[in-house]
Amino acid sequence: MHPPGPKSTKQASNLASAPVSIHQFKIQNKSMKKIAVKDSPGPGKTGLPFIKKSFISLIYLTLFILPFTIQAQDTKAQINSTLRGHITDATTKEDLVGVSVQIKGTTHGVTTDKEGRFDFVTGQKFPYTLIVTYIGYEKLELVVNGSPVEIQLKSDLKELDQVVITGYSTLSKKAYSGSVAQVKASQLENRSAQSFDQLLGGQAAGVDIVQPSGVLNNTPVFRVRGINSISSGIYPLILVDGVPLFTGLVGGTVANNPLSSINTNDIESINILKDASATAIYGSRAANGVVVVTTKKGKKGKTRVSYDAWASVSSARNLPPLLNAFDYTTIKNEAMVNAGKDPGYKLQTRSDGSIVNTNWYDVAFHKAYSQSHNLSIAGATDATNYFVSLGYQDQNGIVRTNTFKNSLVRLNLDHKLLNNVTIGVNFSYNNSLNGGPNTGSLPGQYLDGGALGRSTNVLPPNVAVYNEDGSYNFQDKSRMGYGANNADASSNGYIGTINTENLQLILDKDKYTSETNNAIGNLYAQWTITKGLDFKTTYGVNRLSVENQRFQNPINGAAAPSGGSAGNAYIKNYRTNWVNTLQYSTAIAERHHFNILAGAEDIYTSSASWGATRTGLTDNFFTSYQGSFTTITPANNSQGENGFRSLFSNFNYDFDRKYLLSYSFRRDGYSGLAEGHKYGNFSGGSVGWNISEESFYKNLDLAKTVNTIQIRASYGQVGNLNIGDYPALGFYSGTTYAGTAALRFAQAGNPNLQWETSKKTDVGLKIGLFNNRIVLDADYYNNVVDGLILDAKQAPSKGVPGNSIKANVGSLYNKGIELGLTAQVINNDKFQWETSINFSTLQNKVTALSDGIDIYTPSTFGIQNMTRVGYSVGSIYAVPSVGVNPANGYRIFVNAKGQQVQYNQAGASKWTFLDGTPAPAIDNYLDGKIQGSSLPTYYGGFNNTFRAYGFDLNLGFTFSGGNKLYNGTRANLLDQRYFNNGTFVKDRWTTPGQITDVPKLIYADNVSTGFSITNTSVVEDGSYVKLKNAALGYRIPLEKVSNGKLTALRLYVQASNIFTITNYRGSDPEISINGNSIASGKDHNSVPNATTITFGANLNF
Amino acid sequence: MITKEKNKRYIYTTAVLFILSSATLTSCRKNLLETVPQTTISEVNAYTTPEKILGGVYDLYKKLQNAQYYGGKYIIYNELRGEEFGQNDGNANVGALIWGQNPLSTAGQVQDLWNAAYASINSANLLIKNVSTTNVISSPLREQYVAEAKFVRALNYLALVQTFAKPFNADNGASLGVPLRLNGETSTGNNDLVRSTVAQVYAQIIKDLDDAEANLPAAYSSNIQNASRAHKATAIALKTRVYLVKADYTNVIKEAAKLVPAVAPYQYTSGAVTHKLEANVASVFTGTYVGGETLFSVLFNTDDSPDVQSALGAYYFVSVVSPLAPAGILSDPALSGVASTDARKGLLGTKSGQKVLLKFPKAGAPYTDYIAVIRYAEVLLDYAEAAAEKDDLGTALSLLNAVRKRSDPTYVFPAADVTLKPNLIATILKERRIELLGEGLRTPDLQRRLQPLPSKTGAVGTAPAVPITASNYIWPIPSDEISTNKLAVPNP
Repeated sequence: MHPPGPKSTKQASNLASAPVSIHQFKIQNKSMKKIAVKDSPGPGKTGLPFIKKSFISLIYLTLFILPFTIQAQDTKAQINSTLRGHITDATTKEDLVGVSVQIKGTTHGVTTDKEGRFDFVTGQKFPYTLIVTYIGYEKLELVVNGSPVEIQLKSDLKELDQVVITGYSTLSKKAYSGSVAQVKASQLENRSAQSFDQLLGGQAAGVDIVQPSGVLNNTPVFRVRGINSISSGIYPLILVDGVPLFTGLVGGTVANNPLSSINTNDIESINILKDASATAIYGSRAANGVVVVTTKKGKKGKTRVSYDAWASVSSARNLPPLLNAFDYTTIKNEAMVNAGKDPGYKLQTRSDGSIVNTNWYDVAFHKAYSQSHNLSIAGATDATNYFVSLGYQDQNGIVRTNTFKNSLVRLNLDHKLLNNVTIGVNFSYNNSLNGGPNTGSLPGQYLDGGALGRSTNVLPPNVAVYNEDGSYNFQDKSRMGYGANNADASSNGYIGTINTENLQLILDKDKYTSETNNAIGNLYAQWTITKGLDFKTTYGVNRLSVENQRFQNPINGAAAPSGGSAGNAYIKNYRTNWVNTLQYSTAIAERHHFNILAGAEDIYTSSASWGATRTGLTDNFFTSYQGSFTTITPANNSQGENGFRSLFSNFNYDFDRKYLLSYSFRRDGYSGLAEGHKYGNFSGGSVGWNISEESFYKNLDLAKTVNTIQIRASYGQVGNLNIGDYPALGFYSGTTYAGTAALRFAQAGNPNLQWETSKKTDVGLKIGLFNNRIVLDADYYNNVVDGLILDAKQAPSKGVPGNSIKANVGSLYNKGIELGLTAQVINNDKFQWETSINFSTLQNKVTALSDGIDIYTPSTFGIQNMTRVGYSVGSIYAVPSVGVNPANGYRIFVNAKGQQVQYNQAGASKWTFLDGTPAPAIDNYLDGKIQGSSLPTYYGGFNNTFRAYGFDLNLGFTFSGGNKLYNGTRANLLDQRYFNNGTFVKDRWTTPGQITDVPKLIYADNVSTGFSITNTSVVEDGSYVKLKNAALGYRIPLEKVSNGKLTALRLYVQASNIFTITNYRGSDPEISINGNSIASGKDHNSVPNATTITFGANLNF
Repeated sequence: MITKEKNKRYIYTTAVLFILSSATLTSCRKNLLETVPQTTISEVNAYTTPEKILGGVYDLYKKLQNAQYYGGKYIIYNELRGEEFGQNDGNANVGALIWGQNPLSTAGQVQDLWNAAYASINSANLLIKNVSTTNVISSPLREQYVAEAKFVRALNYLALVQTFAKPFNADNGASLGVPLRLNGETSTGNNDLVRSTVAQVYAQIIKDLDDAEANLPAAYSSNIQNASRAHKATAIALKTRVYLVKADYTNVIKEAAKLVPAVAPYQYTSGAVTHKLEANVASVFTGTYVGGETLFSVLFNTDDSPDVQSALGAYYFVSVVSPLAPAGILSDPALSGVASTDARKGLLGTKSGQKVLLKFPKAGAPYTDYIAVIRYAEVLLDYAEAAAEKDDLGTALSLLNAVRKRSDPTYVFPAADVTLKPNLIATILKERRIELLGEGLRTPDLQRRLQPLPSKTGAVGTAPAVPITASNYIWPIPSDEISTNKLAVPNP
């Protein structure tokens, strides 16, 4: 069905845009357009997320639509002209449905149909002026001279920010005085990732994301305004369409982030609630911030079918250079001789005369190819709107055998059952299979002997992967073969045990997988009782099932001495939440706007897991748990449940959009606390003043430039209690002693345990310049956490389980400023440049701990992180080293008394003063000092979009700094056992008088290196600037070619992790070996982040 | 349109509906906030049935079985600090730093041992506290359980004071020992406690063992219980070790005499239990473990077997982390002499050109070899040494011969080795090294005799001799104790 065509495209577009282009903005790109369209009003349908839809409809109806629709009623008139027209989005060329078209000076108006067309039969004669208005687009006035007309509307960027979705309700941003960071779909889409949280880095002020390694689907570090707890959870609360999700690491040996169950392409918007005013409605779960994710809805108009696909190639980036076989043998023999031993390392020559020179990186890493497909169908009728999507990803990691397959489906449906009753469902289900080796890059894993990141760095380069007959080169079940190196234990040149397996064999024969089935959904019904009064009931479910499987071969590796091993664990997590809310919004005397919400919520969570370990294959044929084994032992068995019962309310008031007031209250009860302490009250409030809405201000000259000024302030108390199901209870657990029943003291309880209280203060300012072409947001925040729940360290001599008891005995604060600046730098028809910068600072300080007792974890690797009163949480800790003694090549440490003490692995006294007299051994704890914060003291992002001639270019930088990193990888690469070394070892001390930071090499030394005792030689500045993302796209105008069947085809090429500017000497300063914990800033043989190049297409029908 | 009345009614209806639905919601999970753990037992119920209390008793032994403790590592460390074993593996986790006499206050090995011993002490203290007054079990049983707890507590304090404090004989126990915790701890507070002196710790050990001896049963109802649960003879045997450490030879003899008759055959029988040397030393380690030689063993089964980095078998010969050092006791003709017919030579093997110890013979996981903590041969040698010190050379030689001739019946000690008191004592000490090789007594034996820890060479480098004056002669108090217990001072 083709309407009368425009006179000519050129003319039509001139008609539409020429007279008004100066003050119009162009829409950013396809995804922005989706948001714009989303906001379009249709009869009985707002297109906004389901939550509080009716309320929003009312607001919009009242504020924006009514004036037009009222005016749009036909009047009887004499027919003087007939005007036909077609209205499309200026950028995407998509039809716009429900646009108001009115003839200036009359009450005559119509709206466009679902193909964006309108017919006007009017008593007016050409020419006359049309007024075209549409939510989310700039108002357009144009003179028409004849029919038909082709009109293009440009989206109004400042309109896009109009709502804040807080989970229980949706509020107009102009009338909102809390602190919220918003991330749009366009900031996330078309980038290769496994979960949306990976993409948030640099996208919003106050949100710090660290991608911990290049392992697929690894859970990123996610901090909102610093670290707000020590022993309790430090991950933000994540809600998707109101359902609180399970988060964390669930994969066992392989990475598995449950947030990969949310298809990034389904996300409409992400609101990150930061201050007390915004988060108080979540009460006890809000201390770490609340991330409210809203998924897409169908829109009225033509059914929209979108197909998005990409293919990518990833490669390992910036691996530390290691010694080759030739240098390795030289270096190791030098160390042996220096230790009084005979040289034991030799090059191995194959029968064809070639020398064995193995690059273990080639065994571990490869170029990895991935693909992703996503299909969505969305549409709406007057009564029903729907969004269905199907996603599939087949990703491969830079680590060989690291795979991630993910299938996702979603159905979002809203249906108007009765005139005043709407029901709806949001449902998603996914199945993902994460596979890979033990990479050593997940929390706690770097200690594992067979971990890949360690293997590449320690395996000798002068031994071969395969023997000449093609068999694997190994010896003794758990070790790499010796090659030509001295394996004679009775000889003085014996090199000792090679305590590492053949990595190739491990990659080929061992298998670790984690499979997720995750159903997330909710069902709601909303009843508009009377105008402005809505009752809503929502029942949400999150059912996360994970099956972790492990198989370790019986030939070579950690399980080989046991004859092979397999383990399966099945984990069931189940959560329901039932929310009932009553919301009333009204305007009194047109200028007093009230919005009052009251609600009740029950959240029930149960988690159970079971599994076993089987060892001793009865035959090497078997490769799975279900095969035949000689022994079985129980493993991974747990069971627990908890419940929250809550009442909450929110009150919002504004006077004429000038004076804003908001207050929230929540009372939470938690099952895990003892009687008398179960309930906690949380509340927060804010005030705001839109100065630019004042009439006195509007009359100022300044108002022409500075068109928006808002100031706001908030304060409140929220809580945290993410510490398991039974934190207050002292209990015993059953065990067995050689088969006999035993009962052991398992947890020391604390019946006085209470909620942590986070007191959040926020003062903010918003300024818009040049009709909001430049918008600046500035916030000062101060979060003071009191009653911090600590695993309060008990003297180990007390012998209580874990040497700790949970208690409310600490305090800390996070404070800083956040700046966000968005600007339309250049905006004309041919070329647009939009830029946004966000910058946050963080000052984190612990002000009290239980009896002032330090919190740290001593280990074989010394102490890297120290939480101590007066310093930031988990500060980097090390013993000062003043370098290498030029006289003898020994590393010089400085003890707590300020004395210089040198270490000689081969000395009769290992620790001596510089005059050679014996000195007390350096004590990592007593002689160590805090070296600096492990948390960045500033971070942010700098994002740019350029658009011209159908091309769009995106450049996204992230930066972070002010923190220290402990470069454990470098310590490892200086280790004087059989370990391979970094090429920097060639600068080692060899001659008296030589100035160098690499000590004299003495076999078996792992003290001078920073391996067993942390020292400052490997404490480094973690500051960096990274070009995280660059994308170049071209939009092919297919409408004409395909007769309108295809509405858009965009092709793009995108790259991530392109370059990093840093002084850090490791692979990547964006690192976290310990995941989301207070032990930040340690690098130790972690798999580096990948550089990925993606080619993709977005196709709309 | 809706009238005002209607409006009111709507609001009213809604309010009712809201309350109703909340009520429904509430009734849906009545006990939402009253969750009770299904897999753990509240501390208030932990001592309320005879079965639970007995479970607490078995936990005493379970704690000793910890892989970082008597389950493996503690025994290994006492060998690594001596001279009998080399070290092939540079990995700190398998003790490279310990072998290299480099104990660090922050090292996992140092922390773990301290933690394991004190966890066991608290388990004993809690049992004593909760059982002493219970009516759930009979009074004799109550006293027996308390006695078992006291035995375990004594064994723990002996391990602690020997590892973290100067030898008693250096200054008659005047040095700082370890904090003496004698009350069960279940809550916050009480972190600060001074280190008692070495003498005070030993006094407590002896007091506990005397109490234990008084109330322990002579025997249990099964041989495996006799091998694994403290009974009278166990407490007595441990006392011989403790008094020997203090060089209190009179009391060694007094206690040993309770278990060892004045003349051969050396055998102790009380009730259903008999303790004696088994005919073949190998059967002590490879048999049923209930042959009577063992006075106290740590047991394992598949479910609780130690891991590959802690299991003695894995350590000594499967992984060969520590082969026998050629310069150690391996050089004694009894073990390496070509002509030696000593059965203990049969407990050695060869792997990759190295001599290895096969006493704990499981060749792969699960490493379920029982570990003998105290056995009759040690009691005989304790007795022999004390007798020799007290100039009863005849008894001493007779006891020495009992041990030697069990493994090498035709062997005759050269007269020069056994005639004079100092030579006899040296021979007895050497016999201990041969007999008890790999069983974790070497470092305590060196230290009670105030000898330096000998220098040695291994694949991962060299370890210099450690004189008794050196700071690393004993282990540092773990940094966690120093940072939490404000009254605990570090070792110099």
